[in-house]
Amino acid sequence: MKYFIMILQISVLFLFNFIGQFIQGYFSLSIPGSLIGMLLLFSLLILKVLPLTWIQSGVDFLLKDIPFFFIPVTVGVVQYLSFFYGKGSLTILLVVISTFFVIGVSGTLTNFLLKKEVKSYE
Amino acid sequence: MSSFFIGIVTIAGAFILYQFSKKMYSVKPSPFTMPIFLSTATIVIFLILTGIPYETFMIGGQWIDIFLGPIVVSLAVPLYREIHLIKKYAGAISIGIFAGSLTGVFTGIAGAKLLGFEGWLIQSVAAKSVTAPIAISITDTAGGNVSLAAVFVMIAGVSGAMFGPVILKICRIQHPIAKGLSFGTASHAIGTAKALENSKIEGAISVLSMTISAVIVSFLVPVFLIVM
Repeated sequence: MKYFIMILQISVLFLFNFIGQFIQGYFSLSIPGSLIGMLLLFSLLILKVLPLTWIQSGVDFLLKDIPFFFIPVTVGVVQYLSFFYGKGSLTILLVVISTFFVIGVSGTLTNFLLKKEVKSYE
Repeated sequence: MSSFFIGIVTIAGAFILYQFSKKMYSVKPSPFTMPIFLSTATIVIFLILTGIPYETFMIGGQWIDIFLGPIVVSLAVPLYREIHLIKKYAGAISIGIFAGSLTGVFTGIAGAKLLGFEGWLIQSVAAKSVTAPIAISITDTAGGNVSLAAVFVMIAGVSGAMFGPVILKICRIQHPIAKGLSFGTASHAIGTAKALENSKIEGAISVLSMTISAVIVSFLVPVFLIVM
């Protein structure tokens, strides 16, 4: 029974994804359907139209193992190995360094602003 | 062999490998034992050694792929659970996300130009910090190579999740909101998975950051490609 409910709850997520994709297609938006689905679900939760308990256990089941679902897409790198043998290998370095910059800059700035905010309360 | 059988074996194999990677990570936590890295690297090496084409792997892989959309949808829940925190620190959070998005697009394009890459490659790198479906649509509009862009997105995700904790330590970033924000802005859903591992607050801020940065980046990329 527990698993049946979970499957039903995960189907709800598929439904929201489907609705999101439909909206994206219908209005030919550049925002992906999954994100529209997420914002839709978020709005329904905030407005208390859809109680969290209806989807809770299914969502927590998925969230626990998100990285698993990214394995096939990431394995896609294998198709581009020849690109990365030559000068293309520099792009890996570039992407990694740029990612480190994003972490450093956004984290340091936010950390600083939050500390200031705490101080101004004192 | 029927494709149904190949599919079942692939999914079961990937799942067992993932569970094994999780065990390894709990025994010896390091960037290189992170489940997403260890599982992917093992499969890539396996495919190269056996000569099995990616298309064959994807007979099973596509069934895992169909969960990617619903997973993005499910991220509404951690966001909803921590909404009070987001409201409380709205100012700092929005400035942080904007600065991070700007840094990602700027360093990506500037670095590619510095290395002397051609136009199409610069256009393919620009959107790497945001979640794959959005990066793909941004790259498509910009005129870059869509599948290569997806690869860059994965590299940004995995490298951020692997080495993000080290960067945060070096920069002495301790606030959970600042940490979560960095993961989400730099490494989208893969970074968010890492942030969720650390704490619920970190995870929620990461979800928020990957969502908002995706929107910001989709505006920044076309502008920066023209200006720079």
